[in-house]
Amino acid sequence: MFNIFICVYLTLMNSYYSIKRENWEADLIKLSDLFGIYAATENGHLPEYELVNKANTGKIVYNKPKPSTPLKTFFLPVKENVTADLLPGKQRIIIGVPNCDVSALRLLDEIYLDSSFEDIYYKNKRENTYIIASDCFDILEHCHCVTYNVMPYSDSIADLAIVLKGDEVVLRILSERGEQLLKTHFSAVQVTGKDVISYIETRHREVTEILTRMNKGLPDYRMTGDLVNYADDKVWHHHSQRCVSCGACTAICPTCTCFLLIDKPGFHKVKQMDACQYPGFERVAGGEDSLSELPKRFRNRYMCKYVWKPAKFSGLACTGCGRCIEACIGKINKNEIFRELAK
Amino acid sequence: MPADVNIYKALRAELTEVITESPLIKTFVLIPEKEFFFDTGQFIELAVDGIGEAPFTPSSSPLVHDRLEVTVMKTGYVTEYMHNMKPGDLMGIRGPYGRGYPVEKFFGKEVLILGGGCGLAPIRSLLYALEHVVDKLEKVTLCYGSKTPSDCVYKPLFARLNKIDKFETFRTVDKPDDEWNESVGVVTSLLNRIHIDIDKSVAVVCGPPVMMKFTTIRLLEMGYPENKIYLSMEKNMSCGLGKCGHCMMGKFFVCKDGPVFTYNELKDTPDIWS
Repeated sequence: MFNIFICVYLTLMNSYYSIKRENWEADLIKLSDLFGIYAATENGHLPEYELVNKANTGKIVYNKPKPSTPLKTFFLPVKENVTADLLPGKQRIIIGVPNCDVSALRLLDEIYLDSSFEDIYYKNKRENTYIIASDCFDILEHCHCVTYNVMPYSDSIADLAIVLKGDEVVLRILSERGEQLLKTHFSAVQVTGKDVISYIETRHREVTEILTRMNKGLPDYRMTGDLVNYADDKVWHHHSQRCVSCGACTAICPTCTCFLLIDKPGFHKVKQMDACQYPGFERVAGGEDSLSELPKRFRNRYMCKYVWKPAKFSGLACTGCGRCIEACIGKINKNEIFRELAK
Repeated sequence: MPADVNIYKALRAELTEVITESPLIKTFVLIPEKEFFFDTGQFIELAVDGIGEAPFTPSSSPLVHDRLEVTVMKTGYVTEYMHNMKPGDLMGIRGPYGRGYPVEKFFGKEVLILGGGCGLAPIRSLLYALEHVVDKLEKVTLCYGSKTPSDCVYKPLFARLNKIDKFETFRTVDKPDDEWNESVGVVTSLLNRIHIDIDKSVAVVCGPPVMMKFTTIRLLEMGYPENKIYLSMEKNMSCGLGKCGHCMMGKFFVCKDGPVFTYNELKDTPDIWS
């Protein structure tokens, strides 16, 4: 009986629904009374998440790679009072999330929903948020998700996945709650023909192949860990020369989640995002600081992502989004470092 | 953990007494608003309202639940505020956090304890716990080192421990004064004076990083197995919950996986002494 249930559910999970773009946009406008709807919208160079309203539904981007801001900011605000009463907030729908960001949630969930110390603020936001992932049919210069076995499309963690084909919006069901959302609020109909599904699956294959080709020679996740772990100190001294400890790489990273607790009167605590790249991150009251030297801080980030976090968690600490490369004002390209180490 | 417990919220505790241990070290006696349970060697985050919080291992007995003692060295911003606090003031407590001393593993053993400076604080709590199970232990030897006689903390403790059968204590200072009639030298110099059966022994080390480093090296030279040396590690434990990342030491979160580790667990981790 249970197996039958699983089979039926898996069939549903793979279900595709379609809706005319104009109807989809009309449904979104109607829904915006009930939900806070955020969608990746056109914003010059890279898409940016915007609150959906009547005026901007036409600006929503589809089939595109990453918005400039990582998904984590919806769950881990830069600053948050973590002793305030937890108020029931409006439910949210986030549309256009690339799989590099969706996959990052696996690690965030492990850290913040850890059963021994569950963060109720993070949990509340996760439970109140529907994620509609975007399949990437385009590729940006530094995208390298496939190198770390992250596909350029989602098949789990998110609730729905979205593709625009012509003037048809196609939605793929990825979770039970995603299915409920779709059937309750959108006038989409199940895709019965094979053309649409075959088109999407072909695009998945093509994009994966291009990404693989593009990143040929870039070591995979495990090998990167070994290379980083055994790299000579000279490597870190050399490559950290252009680092100014601005922390942009960690702020923009979908998996970096370090924070500081700041005390406020009334025994309130504010959780503020922090970064191991800032001087003083590990300084203790007595003055000892194991990361006082820049090359050590620089190495720490890579050790954390490719050696230490993998030893502790199953979620990836780098999903290959490439944002840290784009954000670095010193033009430090981690992939160039790893290619060099792999030689 | 029960659902909807806020892990960031502190329990209130009233400061009832401040004991000056040395010019830089004070012990704060706190009455928590409800009974507080901890294992010896676990730590708490102690907060000064609106100023900040810092990690400390309680120095009181883990068997006492309505009263908590925390020994604090004035060494930074938050601890300076703490040193100015008066009885009647309210403090915040989060915790207890982490993995403490595995007291049951010490049964049938000769327990060698080496403390340096304010590192005697967690050890005092351990000594209370060991005193409670003294029948199950072979021997407890405490070696304590501080910079000067006036830096020695818990002065009445030593006389009391020396009266307990199976307990013995040794003290040393780097710089003696005219009245000092005990040992002079670093804490490892006391190891030449003690009689201990290493095969039946475990060693516990707590103190400043440099003291921990050289004591561990000496214990290894003496033949202590790596998994019989227990170290209480100090890092910048900000959240205590294995989330904030500040106390990451290799693959370990010191706050959650420690703060007590065996040397065997840490030996391949870089920069453990800094």
